[in-house]
Amino acid sequence: MHVLLIEDDTEAARFLVKGLRESGYAVDHAADGRDGLLRATEGHFDLIVTDRMLPQLDGLTVIEQLRAKGIGTPVLVLSALGSVDDRIKGLKAGGDDYLTKPFAFAELLARIEALLRRRPNTPHTTRLKVEDLEFDLLARRVTRAGREVELTARELKLLEFLMRRAGQVVTRTMLLEGVWDLHFDPQSNLIDVHISRLRQAIDRGTDHPLIHTVRGSGYVLRSDL
Amino acid sequence: MRLALFNTTAFRLSVGYTLLVTLAVGVTLGSAYLLTESLITDEVDLIIDTELKSLEDKFARAGVPGVTDEINLRIDSWGRIGAVYMLADANYERISGNVTTWPFDGMPTEPRPEFEIATIEPGRRAVHPVRAAVRTLPGGDLLLVGTDISQGRRFAEKFRFATLWGIGLSTLAAALAGFWFSFRLARRVGEAASTCEAIMAGAPGRRLPVAGAHDEFDSLAISVNRVLDRLEEQAGTLRATFDSAAHDLRAPLHRLRTRMDALLLRSPPLEPAVHESVDSALREVDHLQRTLATLLQIALAQSGAPLAAPAAVDVGELAAELVDLFEPAAGDKGLRLACHQEAAVVQGNRQLLAQLITNLIENGLKYVPAGGAIDVAVRRLADGVRLTVSDDGPGIAGPDRSRAVQPFVRIGMAGREEGSGLGLSLVAAIARLHRGRLELQSNEPGLRVVVELPA
Repeated sequence: MHVLLIEDDTEAARFLVKGLRESGYAVDHAADGRDGLLRATEGHFDLIVTDRMLPQLDGLTVIEQLRAKGIGTPVLVLSALGSVDDRIKGLKAGGDDYLTKPFAFAELLARIEALLRRRPNTPHTTRLKVEDLEFDLLARRVTRAGREVELTARELKLLEFLMRRAGQVVTRTMLLEGVWDLHFDPQSNLIDVHISRLRQAIDRGTDHPLIHTVRGSGYVLRSDL
Repeated sequence: MRLALFNTTAFRLSVGYTLLVTLAVGVTLGSAYLLTESLITDEVDLIIDTELKSLEDKFARAGVPGVTDEINLRIDSWGRIGAVYMLADANYERISGNVTTWPFDGMPTEPRPEFEIATIEPGRRAVHPVRAAVRTLPGGDLLLVGTDISQGRRFAEKFRFATLWGIGLSTLAAALAGFWFSFRLARRVGEAASTCEAIMAGAPGRRLPVAGAHDEFDSLAISVNRVLDRLEEQAGTLRATFDSAAHDLRAPLHRLRTRMDALLLRSPPLEPAVHESVDSALREVDHLQRTLATLLQIALAQSGAPLAAPAAVDVGELAAELVDLFEPAAGDKGLRLACHQEAAVVQGNRQLLAQLITNLIENGLKYVPAGGAIDVAVRRLADGVRLTVSDDGPGIAGPDRSRAVQPFVRIGMAGREEGSGLGLSLVAAIARLHRGRLELQSNEPGLRVVVELPA
């Protein structure tokens, strides 16, 4: 997977490039907006990670110009501007996800993974299945090994989010954004409590749990570790 | 905001103006009427007096026969134009004249008695009003001289009719002018008010309309627009300042965090003790970052910059969702968290309102001891929404309540590291940004926080 990082903060960029390479990505780095736009136009990248405030050409302008040229490469916007309006502006300009600095590297990795695995044309699925866990999206019915599992509306939404991203690490922030539509971090360990309730319902009494905690990152739903 | 027409100053002014016009026209026309009427009466009285005088003179010179001759002469030449004469004896029996019977019941008491006289004119019977005077002649005979005043009466009647119409029409004209004037005034003031509302509601680019009439409204609108330009410019400058402050503070925090992240992820791994301390330093960085973000948000909200792009948010639904989010965590702490809500829509920012409710719930989770309860309620008001978050925890003593919303003030939390001391300040700032108000009350026992937001 080939990632283009557009970031003018050289020190931050150095660590990000190193970290991403260690995680198995091929990374190109551009230090300003103009160079970034040029590379993004000429090269073939699977993903672009761009800072919002850049010399020469602003990050949002880079995205707008890319989109105007018909280049649909997913873009993750990094920003030191954290207000809610900035986020909306970033997504309106054509960004696919938005991350406020400072962020945990694990958060960045999880989001990159989510963007790369995103399959835009799968909303017509009516059944989700991971091993013996099945989710009938139309009837909102969940079964584990054929036995029906009683879940609240919120737990169903949470499970659907995890199952649609089966095998991917999902961070607490991604869950807050995706399931609750909240774009700020409440302070307590809210998500953990919700996950542990879901886990109780899904994994209790089985010898092969599906919901796993990934230390320092979040959760993943998959058949086995 | 639309002003009800009847409530406007302009309307009240025009009602007063109409009354004044009615009064002025009424006094003018009324006094002209009274003056004219008295002039006509004076004229009639002068004629009567003159006739009486000459007939008295005649009597003095020629006695009853002289007066009778004179009366007959005058009837012949003047009778048709309305002169009335009668010479009667002391028993009111007619001696001569064109009145057949004494028209009064004895001697009239008023100096100018009036009576009616029936005449037969060619083709029709008519009744004429007559104004008269009576003299007792030496010897006891009575002399009555009168004048037909039907013409004057008719004139007065026409005059009265014209006067009433004049008062009515000018009142109507004044009322119409006043209504039009107050309607125009209310519309212009209303336009200005609704523009101001729109600006407050997040359209900072709007300006008061200038009609181009070069009147006082235009000059007011131009001045207000200049103030608005200035405010928008200042808000822009402030915004840019916040942006660069945010950037300049977050970028080094980001570098710091990235380095520490790299330390934690490197191989071979750090010794467990070092890993632990880097990890806890990392949590401090995150705490610092959150405090900074909150502080910037408070500063931005207090700068008076309007809410960008407000949208319809159902506060009731939002509260229910957040209670749902927090309920398991509350349950783990042995607290009961419940929500009573109804659909209650305001124009606002969903994320900020969610942050507001979150902070209030988090406060409750932080302060209320196990076994307690936190209740979130959302009610629709006539012109907005009331959000109440009440608990049965330790509460805040009266004198501390106003202090509690100030940044970095923690009430009854000495020594506790949790929390930034900004929670309620941010709630206040977000409420203010939504033109709402925040009040801390005693829940007896416990704390009740009431936030009212306009629709």
